[in-house]
Amino acid sequence: MADAIFQLGVPLFLLALGYFAGSMAEQSHYKSIRVRELRLRRMPTTNLRRPPAHWRVESITLVAGSAVISVDYFKRFLAQLRGFIGGRVRSYESLLDRARREAVLRMKEEAVQGGFDAVINVRLESTNIASPLRNDKGTAGVEVLAFGTALKLARSA
Amino acid sequence: MEPLENNVSPEHPLAELATLVLGIALIGLGILAVAWLAVEGAVRFLPASVEQRVFAGATGRRSPELEALLERLARHWPENGYSPRVRIVELDAPNAFALPGGQLLVTSALLEQAGSENELAFVLGHELGHVAGRDPLRALGRGLLVSLALSALGGAEGASVAGSAAALGERSFSREQESVADRFGLALVAAEYGHVAGASDFLRRLPDAEASESAAAHAASWLATHPRSADRVAELEILARRQGFPTQGSLTPLPAGLRDP
Repeated sequence: MADAIFQLGVPLFLLALGYFAGSMAEQSHYKSIRVRELRLRRMPTTNLRRPPAHWRVESITLVAGSAVISVDYFKRFLAQLRGFIGGRVRSYESLLDRARREAVLRMKEEAVQGGFDAVINVRLESTNIASPLRNDKGTAGVEVLAFGTALKLARSA
Repeated sequence: MEPLENNVSPEHPLAELATLVLGIALIGLGILAVAWLAVEGAVRFLPASVEQRVFAGATGRRSPELEALLERLARHWPENGYSPRVRIVELDAPNAFALPGGQLLVTSALLEQAGSENELAFVLGHELGHVAGRDPLRALGRGLLVSLALSALGGAEGASVAGSAAALGERSFSREQESVADRFGLALVAAEYGHVAGASDFLRRLPDAEASESAAAHAASWLATHPRSADRVAELEILARRQGFPTQGSLTPLPAGLRDP
């Protein structure tokens, strides 16, 4: 009996912990993302390979930002259940959304700090950390890397 | 421009959890129900000869006297598709089992305690009743099903739970199956001896055994796999009265080879 309580109780506890801690972390992260996106929204960020012809480029550099977001027990449980029947894995959608936006923000912040005016040729890469294929018990997280070419433009006279 | 934020589906995680859990449980139960019916169908339509060929292996000591007794009893079961076999296993707990393929097992302790052939005949008849009802095959099929379902759900962890659940399923039959087997055994005993005296002696002895602790541990083995003895004794008495089986008669002593093994 005690064994059964333990076997059922531990996963339930982890599920509740994952849900409450995970939602709190997600909400506060989204709050920060929205504020910073608003602050940086004036910086042109594009995946064009070349700057527009009329831009006078003074200097360039590589800027990059990466973010790693961990999955929590609740999200993983939802995704496992989803794996039985298929469909949109909502619990992982938010992870990737946060990672992508955070990575782009960090890249832009780096550009701002260097005094650059725009980022072009932006590329996004994603990868998963601690592959569940190799170790099922490992913490699966996602990394998104954003990189691009930051441009400093000459002030037109 | 405000970002659209349409990369995350709007459904609440808890609502998704409830939908997934309920949906998967319903689908799983449906599959289990269909598989359960499939097992039932297979048990009904698998010929006894095939079952006997598949489950041919047997362990335990052979005894010509015991086999002769089983053969005499089985003669009163004409529609029998099996050629039932019986072996003795060396165990301190008095018990008897029916395995798939018409294989019976009787423990050495049961033989030592038996006071008459009639008593032993009822135990064999009861187990033959399980064979007739195809209970061992059904239990095996259900046990397999439960272990499959559990291991599908729980992966490696589920498999260990599944193993013990399957063992449980193999061992104990339902109350209904036990009653039917009792009825079957009693009819065989009545046909063989002309009366049912001594048939319930084995069951009667079990409650006495509860007096001493070591004996209670012995009885536990039988009780773990069979319903309460007192209830069954009462049921047998009612059954004998209803069927018109004489309850008085002279007991046949155990064959010499079984008395001193």
